[in-house]
Amino acid sequence: MTSAALGAVMLASACGGDDGGGANTGSAEPGEVEGSVTMWTYPVIADETEHRNFWDDTIAAFGEEYPNVDVEVEIFPWADRDQALSTAIAGNSAPDVVYMIPDQLPGYARNIEPIDGYLDDDAKADYLPNAIEAVTIDGEMTAAPILASAVTLTCNKEVFDDVGQSEYPETWDDLREMAPEFKDAGYDMFAYSGDVSQTLNLTFYPLLWQAGGDVFNDDGSEVTFNSEAGVEALTFLQEMVDGGYVSEDMLTSNPPVEQTKLAQGEVACEWHSEGKNLVEFWGEENTVILPPLTNAEQIAYGTVGSLAMLSSADDKDAAGAWISFVTEAERAAEYDEASGFLPVKESTGSLYEGDPLLGEAEKYVDLTTVGPLTEEAREVMGVLAPEIQAVLIGEKEPQQALDDAAAAAEAVVR
Amino acid sequence: MSVDTLPKARQRYRWREARIALLFVLPCLLLFIAFRFGPAVAGGVLSFTDYTIGADTNWIGLENLRRLNEDPLFWRALRTTLTIALLAVPLSILMSLGMALLVRRAFRGSKLFRSIFFLPVITSLVLAGIVFTWIFSEGGPWTSVMGWLGFADRAWLSDTTLVIPAIVIVAVWGRFGFGMLILLARLQDVPRELEEAALADGAGAWQRFRYIILPELKPALFFLAVIETTFSFQIFDTVYVMTGGGPANSSYVLVYQLYDQAFRYFDFGYASAIGLALFVMTFIVAMIQRLTLGRER
Repeated sequence: MTSAALGAVMLASACGGDDGGGANTGSAEPGEVEGSVTMWTYPVIADETEHRNFWDDTIAAFGEEYPNVDVEVEIFPWADRDQALSTAIAGNSAPDVVYMIPDQLPGYARNIEPIDGYLDDDAKADYLPNAIEAVTIDGEMTAAPILASAVTLTCNKEVFDDVGQSEYPETWDDLREMAPEFKDAGYDMFAYSGDVSQTLNLTFYPLLWQAGGDVFNDDGSEVTFNSEAGVEALTFLQEMVDGGYVSEDMLTSNPPVEQTKLAQGEVACEWHSEGKNLVEFWGEENTVILPPLTNAEQIAYGTVGSLAMLSSADDKDAAGAWISFVTEAERAAEYDEASGFLPVKESTGSLYEGDPLLGEAEKYVDLTTVGPLTEEAREVMGVLAPEIQAVLIGEKEPQQALDDAAAAAEAVVR
Repeated sequence: MSVDTLPKARQRYRWREARIALLFVLPCLLLFIAFRFGPAVAGGVLSFTDYTIGADTNWIGLENLRRLNEDPLFWRALRTTLTIALLAVPLSILMSLGMALLVRRAFRGSKLFRSIFFLPVITSLVLAGIVFTWIFSEGGPWTSVMGWLGFADRAWLSDTTLVIPAIVIVAVWGRFGFGMLILLARLQDVPRELEEAALADGAGAWQRFRYIILPELKPALFFLAVIETTFSFQIFDTVYVMTGGGPANSSYVLVYQLYDQAFRYFDFGYASAIGLALFVMTFIVAMIQRLTLGRER
């Protein structure tokens, strides 16, 4: 998004309170806000007890400020969360507030109450620009960001030491040059998670963006992944797979991570999951977080976790007050530290300075994007991912596969 | 008692009996209407709408069916589903029949074998799918055995041609125990004296099977054919767990497409249209089976 467009978004955000249909809590005193709020969230903090305690403490603190609002936080598993949420919405039993990432927001946009009117201007102005951008659809903030991540390149130092390579890759060309050396030493240069259940935001799209391409055109009316940049990205991937430099065990399936060559220390690098997830397999001393790869562009995927209010919420003022309270800079920072995610507020500054993992990841947040924010983005992934697989298993050429996917996507985007 | 009053009394008695029977059946009937018939009808109606969550629902007539007709993924999923059914149904019935004949007569340990053969039916196919994913994986037992037998040592689930046989194997493994039980029950009804008479007349094993056992099994085989076809058309869990519809959509089946459209893309109208197509297809095949297998019942 251009800076002008971002400015418009910020302006719309700032004005949201005045035209938000009278639901703004800004004028209401905390004691005047009444009602009950149910929030659904997921294991953002991996340790269940710690997660539960965080929310119990937060509810208690909120209760002191808003004595007439009852809050219940329910923690569900990540798996099948969309099915559970969509069924609940259809059955009129949806929660008032739910944790969402940008990938989900367009699909639920019709069911979401814009949050602009419930956050005060200072809180909105304190957000990092890319956090606001990640939750803004049609000029309105659909959710209040609470955390971020940067999924950049991660490499295994032990593998590099064993191969005798002291430099880490920075570009596609570096990968091309280093790959034969690693292959000769019995290592794969990188792992590519090609299973269709894997979001392309973490796998192919970073390559597409690095090649200078994008998934959709500016207004989202047509797909553009079959551009020259798209072909270049997929050709690079094909070339590396055909050369025997990419782990085969993850190309078409999604085995449990501990069973993969990646976890077993037989792969040099990856960019489809955060480096912190590999520490238990590689050890902290061997997990090296690096900047996003560069080709035409230097860019990677990063998510923004946020709290959205559903339009079916009975007590919108109470739900808005809860979201505003939870996403306040200091409290959000506590949540970020407990969960190992990155802050989304300017005023928080650096949370992990000196930390070899999160401290490094934190440096590259500005080089990340959350991926396409259109309602059809997921369905387009659904038609594109199998075509990419077809290239990786040698059944199609990149141009043909991308053109076939684009033709199938036409019916989706129309 | 006059001649006229007797039928009336009998009618009243029958009506009272029918009402009592209906009372017993009613809870089940209500549950069936609420959770089976009702949703099925609602699904049929939804297939003519653009229903999605949180938006106004519009009647769009045959638009979803027109879209189905033009959707290459639907036709591909239909082909894959039919291929699985064509392979799995006869294999499952043959396997069921073979196992039923094997454990038909009582011998030491026959009950144990029957239980073991039935075990896959009560095993979660999701759990089985996870185990079979490992079995068919690169370096897994199946791949290794195939390698020793001289076949290419490659992961079946990553191969666009071999992935369907792998899914069929798991489907048959998970179903043959049920078929065996149905056929075993029917086999108990085959008059033993008939077989003994045939044996005395010099009939061989094949002749006894062909002319005595098989005709007796025909109703059960018809039932199995319908049930197994329906099951094969509805295959989803093993595909979801083992392949995710891949590689390159080569194991993408109709119910998977229905699931994707409904729960990944929230296009419930289109998903319902896929469900309707699946229902029509199952109904037609069941009718064909009835006209062929079931006609001599």
